[in-house]
Amino acid sequence: MEEKIISKENLLKLCSDLLKNNVDIVTPGEKGYIKIKNESEISLNSKSKHTKASFKEYVFPKSEPIIYYKKNQSDVEIIEPKVEEKTTVIFGAKPCDVRSISILSKIFNWDYKDEFFNVRSRNTVLIGMMCEYADEFCFCTSVNLSPTSSDGSDVFLVPHDENTFGVKIVTEKGADLLKPYENYLSAGNSEKTKAIEASVKQPEKVFDAEKVRQWISGNFENDYWNSIGKMCLGCAQCAFVCPVCHCFDIVDEDYNYYEGRRMKNWDGCQFDMFTKHASGHNPRDDQSKRYRQRISHKFKYYPDKFEEILCTGCGRCSRGCPVTIDIKGIVTEINELAIK
Amino acid sequence: MEVKEVITETPDTTTFRLQFKDPEVAKSFNFKAGQFGEYSVFGEGECTFCIASSPTRMEYLECSFKKYGKVTSALARLNVGDTIGLRGPYGNYFPIDEMKGKNVVFIAGGIGLAPVRCIIDNVLDLRDQFKDITIIYGARSVADLVYKNLLKEWQERKDIKTIVTVDPGGETPDWKGEIGFVPSIVEKTAPKSDNSVAIICGPPIMIKYTFPVMTKLGFREDDIITTLENRMKCGLGKCGRCNIGNVYVCKDGPVFTYTQMKELPQEF
Repeated sequence: MEEKIISKENLLKLCSDLLKNNVDIVTPGEKGYIKIKNESEISLNSKSKHTKASFKEYVFPKSEPIIYYKKNQSDVEIIEPKVEEKTTVIFGAKPCDVRSISILSKIFNWDYKDEFFNVRSRNTVLIGMMCEYADEFCFCTSVNLSPTSSDGSDVFLVPHDENTFGVKIVTEKGADLLKPYENYLSAGNSEKTKAIEASVKQPEKVFDAEKVRQWISGNFENDYWNSIGKMCLGCAQCAFVCPVCHCFDIVDEDYNYYEGRRMKNWDGCQFDMFTKHASGHNPRDDQSKRYRQRISHKFKYYPDKFEEILCTGCGRCSRGCPVTIDIKGIVTEINELAIK
Repeated sequence: MEVKEVITETPDTTTFRLQFKDPEVAKSFNFKAGQFGEYSVFGEGECTFCIASSPTRMEYLECSFKKYGKVTSALARLNVGDTIGLRGPYGNYFPIDEMKGKNVVFIAGGIGLAPVRCIIDNVLDLRDQFKDITIIYGARSVADLVYKNLLKEWQERKDIKTIVTVDPGGETPDWKGEIGFVPSIVEKTAPKSDNSVAIICGPPIMIKYTFPVMTKLGFREDDIITTLENRMKCGLGKCGRCNIGNVYVCKDGPVFTYTQMKELPQEF
């Protein structure tokens, strides 16, 4: 992996040039990731807290049209929207967020290829940045990630000091992005990068994901699920802020009788209507069953099917939970049950 | 697709006969008995049902639905000549080739006859390739029986055995069929389990109580087949609501054997 150094000043120039060249730049903002208009808005703070939502919506929008339809007397015309092929640079994302794209691409490509997702992720360049923020909700190390992991990034930044950044060029896509701006970069200092990475505080590893997977396999009917299900309100904020939750709904929106569009909207498995049959029968008719689905999907079903844990350990679901359900605590408890 | 015929089965159940508007699509479209589609009324949304007609009868596709929610109510308002959308076919299908040379028992309850009807018609169209055929169908009341004309046709045939039942209290004074819940009628009829396959579909409660009866009659768990109709949206193994454990009903199903169902988390 090639390594370079860039000064803060040049990094801002790079952003400014990219913006001028009609590239969208998305960076952590106050609440969520925001599309910036000016390079001064860029986030270069590796110590910042996680944004409330991840950048998932830039590859998998909250709401997007999948077809437009026009009705006339005897027929219906269907127009398929095309996703714009426009480069988006996700700038300064934490390693846990960056990893979400490769996890999500498994579900969107295992059978039918979801071009809405694929076109966007193909046109997205991920500039990750080492993370020096770890609170009581973080557990990336327990899901085999780390604050210094460049896994999934196209370019990875490691702050050397306030005004200098180590630049790891991880993929060809990353190299292609930086190529026109080579003069902003100088020779790398990988020794220093390594030393800084080694000094970063890693969240403590609190569970063994494999043990958790095995416990879930044999404990579908365990009473433990009832105890956590009773706390959950079923608001599904956890799914909406999650970088890898991907459930969606399909609904029609009519402009008028003759015209409208069919939308794909985010949905969440914690809603009671989510699996309810027309007959009124509901396979997950109780909040504890829905919570069991959430945990099992993340730590058993998805790993079984795609060999990826459906969780990046970012802790957003716990930070935002109105009744303080902490996924890290729950999975740690499951780990303890597994060891017993 | 164009609605060519609307058949009112019960006060709240309707069958559509459908034809593709595009002759090219009509020519290239094929499916196997047991697969499903996403039917849509533009402006209202999509709804999931099996294809109720047999692949041996391609002049029409048929679907039957019960009026429950937004989309099925909108479907129920349509008339002959109206247009609906169809995505599909999706999912797996009944193992018809493996059923050849065997006795076949069809058991259905309520609207659950629709997903079984495609395979009944399919089997009846290839009648000489199967041994004894038994159809056991029940509904809550006489008024709730679907495909009344077909039932009559099947009952008149000498080469198959057809039993129709209604739940106790659902009979009319002139009802000549059986009275009783489907599982008990199955037990009473006792179709032979030797070299036999059973295909079962109905409300979850009926399926739940019919399985033990089948095992008691001696059916192998591999030969008890059902079709699950979980709530679905995409039909493509993505939207996340039809899964049972790590199985997507829309991709790995909807057709499952009792053996497969026992291995899944019990969440149907």
